[in-house]
Amino acid sequence: MKMKSQSSRQYRGERLQALTVRQARFIDAIAGRILPATDAPGAVEAGAVFYIDRALAGPYPHLLSRYTRGLRALDKHAKRQFGASFEKLGDEQQDSALGDLESGKIAELPNGEAFFELLRTHVLEGVFGEPSYGGNKDMIGWKLVGFPGQQWGYPETYINKAVDLPPITWEGLPKKPGQS
Amino acid sequence: MNGSIADVCIVGVGAVGGILAKQLTSAGLKVVAFERGPALKTAEYAQRDSISYIARPDQLEGVRHEPRIFRTSTTQPGNLRYGTSPFNVLGGSMLLWTGQASRFMPGDFKVYSNEVASGLADRAGVDLRGYDVVDWPIGYDDLEPYYERFEWEFGVAGVAGMNPFAGPRRKPYPLPPLKMTARMQLFGDAAKRLGYHPFIGPAAVTSEPYRPPAPYDTRIPERPACVYCGHCNHYGCHVNAKASTLHTAIPVALQTGNLELRTNCKVANITTDDKGMATGVKYFDPNGVLQEQRARVVILSAFVFEHVRLLLLSKGNGKRFKKGLANSSGLVGKCFFGHGDMRVYGLFDNFIINGFIGSGAAAMRIDDFNGNNFDHTGLGFIRGGTVGCSGDGAPVSRMDIVPPDVRSWGKEYKEYFMRYYTRTFDIHMAPETLPRRDNCVDLDPRRRDRWGLPLPRVTFAFHANEKRMHLFLADIGERIFREAGASKVWTELPRPSPTRQCGGTRMGTDPNHSVVNGYCQSHDVPNLFIVGSSVFPTMSGYPATATISALAYRTAEYIERQRDWFH
Ligand SMILES: Cc1cc2nc3c(=O)[nH]c(=O)nc-3n(C[C@H](O)[C@H](O)[C@H](O)COP(=O)(O)OP(=O)(O)OC[C@H]3O[C@@H](n4cnc5c(N)ncnc54)[C@H](O)[C@@H]3O)c2cc1C
Ligand code: SF4
Repeated sequence: MKMKSQSSRQYRGERLQALTVRQARFIDAIAGRILPATDAPGAVEAGAVFYIDRALAGPYPHLLSRYTRGLRALDKHAKRQFGASFEKLGDEQQDSALGDLESGKIAELPNGEAFFELLRTHVLEGVFGEPSYGGNKDMIGWKLVGFPGQQWGYPETYINKAVDLPPITWEGLPKKPGQS
Repeated sequence: MNGSIADVCIVGVGAVGGILAKQLTSAGLKVVAFERGPALKTAEYAQRDSISYIARPDQLEGVRHEPRIFRTSTTQPGNLRYGTSPFNVLGGSMLLWTGQASRFMPGDFKVYSNEVASGLADRAGVDLRGYDVVDWPIGYDDLEPYYERFEWEFGVAGVAGMNPFAGPRRKPYPLPPLKMTARMQLFGDAAKRLGYHPFIGPAAVTSEPYRPPAPYDTRIPERPACVYCGHCNHYGCHVNAKASTLHTAIPVALQTGNLELRTNCKVANITTDDKGMATGVKYFDPNGVLQEQRARVVILSAFVFEHVRLLLLSKGNGKRFKKGLANSSGLVGKCFFGHGDMRVYGLFDNFIINGFIGSGAAAMRIDDFNGNNFDHTGLGFIRGGTVGCSGDGAPVSRMDIVPPDVRSWGKEYKEYFMRYYTRTFDIHMAPETLPRRDNCVDLDPRRRDRWGLPLPRVTFAFHANEKRMHLFLADIGERIFREAGASKVWTELPRPSPTRQCGGTRMGTDPNHSVVNGYCQSHDVPNLFIVGSSVFPTMSGYPATATISALAYRTAEYIERQRDWFH
């Protein structure tokens, strides 16, 4: 039994700490619309869902119930509008359902705008934040926008010139704060 | 020193408290300093990560225990706010500050005389009802030598004489300016073409390795030069290039042997005797046990909110202080204000800016629209603000900055952010706010902190003078951006709550209309001093730190001179 509940929390090769697999899959579907994969990878590839999972398991456990309620309402709205679960909808229908959430048009969810804002913020933090918080896998987010990460410093100020340094994290720095 | 009487108790060891501790211990006084937070090592506050410091400041140990309540009118209950002013660790908010280190301008100290009594406000067509504008009891000349000391002890980089609106100075800056960045170049060139007077803003960031020379305090350890890492504003500096008392004044104070530093100790009350003098403080020790320390002089250097809270909570035993300590004027907590920080954003198709490089304090600025430097006739407001380039930040700091015609998510957003993250900067303005009694800090009637003390509650709104000024400045910023060649420009007007807070224990000559005198000394309780931006009677278009540091040096000198207080 124990084994089973452990393995039932496996998602994309990682163990979830706060979300259920169903919720994780749902959040991935949303993340894929908030920052979609194009020619370049997006929020799904960056593993934003793992950032959210760690945030809910760590400092923000009280937000888990907001997620549960919000996701349920969004799914219900998808079924009512389009006759299928959110995850099963095409891109355009998903965008339209998310747009309804963003503008507070989901009846069961008073203050749906705030839940959308939370989702958007969390997904983007999961793409652009430091990888040690669970997201931004392989520094995908930083490569997308051209941010070289937590460099120790820069030899020059690169005026009107692209910075050609590969991104780096604090953990990967040859020197750490406090050492000079 | 427990049980015995200290010469001086200092409450709060941030920027101001660190300077006071150094100066007073160096003069031979026995000082006990209380700091509610811990002494952190560089590696504990300078990880430079955007999730902890930008996305989740509410989780920082130095923030999460003491939120405040904010509301825009007395009819609201208000919401909890978590902010890094103050940052409750040894060294205070100066560990996370940007380092913009301007002196106030001479006119900033005389707003009543220059702009109200002179009839200028009438010519501007401004209605000042509800405002409570006064002069400072001291002027720029009184502070000039102390500004100089601050600049040379903390290592300020800049170019003296470049800003035609700055007050006179005896000495240049100790350090040459930081390297030019793209945003400085674009802003400076455009401002110049428009006929304004761009200058390199002074930054308390070492452009070269620095140690103060004589006649300044040569005991201050050397700091290395800035490495332009770009994680500056809101973060701790990993090389200590950004000035903080933690690596300058505090170690020197400890070396004197006259400082007993009690970290993780939260002062809860100032004690008084029946003659109306302060006798010391009560504080929660690191185990949460209430203890007492007696002292001949008590100095509050705990930042605005805590100054008001401590005074309102310290009522003593008799009737004398039933409105709170040092509050015979009824002005404790009143005339609270701050900047209505605002930004204009610009996108560039033909220029790579790389805003994530360099110190946030390395900026080109103009003061053509600051203070009383321009003709206000018919504008409907008085005063103004400094305008400068800004826009440093990791992607997490920038991800919510989206032009009004771009949807904030989806493919369109992604393409926008991928293209422009490296091709944007901001023009930042710090518009001044005029004092009013209805903008205030008091104690929340219900909500308490973890020590059981009521949370500070802010009631604040911008009024007509500010609102007109905000629109006027937005127009200036947009004009500069267009001149600089930005392909898209838009403005974000100030959020409801003010930044770089000041006021609440205003300084003045008349005890009926102010809380402290020109030496930050309480009119009511002569051995109580309150030092920091809470004493500002009016503010400035500049941030406060250079000025509160100058006040700290000056107050320390005044206290040292009172030899008969200490036997
Ligand atoms: C992100 C950021 C950027 C900034 N940028 C600039 C800038 O560019 N230029 C500028 O001039 N200013 C800037 N500031 C503001 C600057 O940091 C403050 O002006 C300055 O630190 C205030 O000094 P202070 O000593 O009054 O307060 P603080 O430095 O906040 O220190 C107060 C200290 O008192 C302690 N304390 C409070 N209450 C108690 C108590 N009851 N018992 C014991 N200890 C207590 C606190 O823990 C803290 O250490 C910035 C601030 C922040 C947060
Ligand atoms: S930019 Fe310079 S001053 Fe700022 S944190 Fe980096 S090294 Fe320190």
